Amino acid sequence: MTPSALLETAALLGLFVLASGGYGSLYSAGRIWSRPALIRAGGVCWALAFALALVIAIHTPLDPGWKLLILASAVVYLVIPPMTWRYLDRMHHEQEPHR
Amino acid sequence: MYRSQKLSLRYYTAAVTLFGVMILFGLLSALYYLYPSLLFNIFNFNMSKILHIDTLVIWLLMGFLGAVYWYLPKELGREVEGMWLAELTFWVFCAVVAVVAIVFLFVQYGGANEFSMWFINQGRKYVEAPRWASIGIVAVMLVFAYNVIATCIKARKMTGIMWVLVLDLIPLVAVYLDAFPAVTNMSVDLYWWWWLVHMWVESTWEVLIGCVMALVLMDVMGTSRRIVETWLYIEVMLVLGAGILGLGHHYFWIGTPQYWLSIGGFFSALEPLPLLGMVVHAIYDAGTHRLKTRNQPAYYWITTEALLNFIGAGIWGFMMTLPQINLLSHGTQWTVSHGHFAFYGAYVCGIIAVLYVAKQQTSGVDVLGGRAWKWGFGLLNFGMVGMVMGLLLAGMAQAFYGRAIGGSTLMAFTTASENPWFVSGMWARMFFGVMFAAGYVVLAYDLLSSPKRVPAAGALPEPA
Repeated sequence: MTPSALLETAALLGLFVLASGGYGSLYSAGRIWSRPALIRAGGVCWALAFALALVIAIHTPLDPGWKLLILASAVVYLVIPPMTWRYLDRMHHEQEPHR
Repeated sequence: MYRSQKLSLRYYTAAVTLFGVMILFGLLSALYYLYPSLLFNIFNFNMSKILHIDTLVIWLLMGFLGAVYWYLPKELGREVEGMWLAELTFWVFCAVVAVVAIVFLFVQYGGANEFSMWFINQGRKYVEAPRWASIGIVAVMLVFAYNVIATCIKARKMTGIMWVLVLDLIPLVAVYLDAFPAVTNMSVDLYWWWWLVHMWVESTWEVLIGCVMALVLMDVMGTSRRIVETWLYIEVMLVLGAGILGLGHHYFWIGTPQYWLSIGGFFSALEPLPLLGMVVHAIYDAGTHRLKTRNQPAYYWITTEALLNFIGAGIWGFMMTLPQINLLSHGTQWTVSHGHFAFYGAYVCGIIAVLYVAKQQTSGVDVLGGRAWKWGFGLLNFGMVGMVMGLLLAGMAQAFYGRAIGGSTLMAFTTASENPWFVSGMWARMFFGVMFAAGYVVLAYDLLSSPKRVPAAGALPEPA
């Protein structure tokens, strides 16, 4: 790995997780305050995360296995916020009548 | 108030005091990077670093013990069993810490012999306390385990949280025994030593803080037991699934077989995924309660924990966990940056939340708020973010100039340490370190001062 590739790859990896975190945060904020614009902004963040995953896969000198793992995790990141949200919502609603 | 809760307050006091000592030696350690000849041959960098890291471990451990002693009688509806022993071991714990600190300050080091290992420094990184003191810490942990298990048996009651806590006590005590062997083969020694460091920090402590946070969430946010217990089970599952084999990222360059590169990289890459779930949960709770609570400081610190855990452990960790990057980044200030951020997000924020829970309940105010905690909150968080950014800059300069360009030679290390990017990063760390210290002073002042009565704004959540 060349010196510049080291910094570029590390920065891309960090930004990839940051963008995924942005997606999760904006999606949740949009859902809780019923703001579709925030949910859309979350979607843009995920698209950015996926684009970063593609850049990592094409542009960086990481081994193919790691590139595949990053692409796969980009897809998993897409699923986590809505899945967690649905689960939380269901648990809270089931709990309501008992309180 | 239960007797064990009074003991808990003593543990909190000791923890906050050691938090201050940790910051003091952190600032001193930062100064050595700017003035390398500082206190030369009087008090060297290595001793300052030992005191910084060891007090971190001890104050967090005391915070955990305090939190469990606080909630145990509430959870089981009775006084903790064997309180006299718990009270005795508290003083033993404090005495051990004080004696070890005095030895580290004034004796510092000895010859390479049995005496030094038993009475000066055990010689194992992060668990440097001499052997007699390490045995003392094991005794304290055993008494703690006895207190928890015996209370559950006497109460004839087990909740989901208590099951997880009791099962977690086994590795909590057993893994610490890894501090003792003195293996002469360095690779074998490091192989087991990482069990202690990683399994405590990224497995056992994670579960312990998970139990504590579950109790705090029920207390502060009124979250139902079913919800917090379900999350706790998920966390345990993820710790077992990703956290334990994430240990592999410490095995990259210590002489272990090459397959650890794949195992460590793969499981470490999975670690940010559950943290994102925690962020979603934190925002869900914040929205559900419309940012209203009876204990504002605790509530904000809990939410901050979820967010900073994701950034510190997730983003900072993922940047440098894959072997090809880690080959050049490990052991630089980049790692230090990740370590500071991850510890702060995962543990420090949680323990501070617990301190505010205790403050509210001991002072008897219905709603805890005011202004001082906001200053402490802001200074500590901005101070930490600034510090880790400074360390990241310095660490990237080291990896770039010292490792990738210079080829990891001693000369390259020295050149990288004089590089303007590295130096400015270390100055930034110093500046924000002072800001963090100011935040600590405000936090300590706020915890000790009498709370101001704050009018309740609308319906507030009741404890579950």
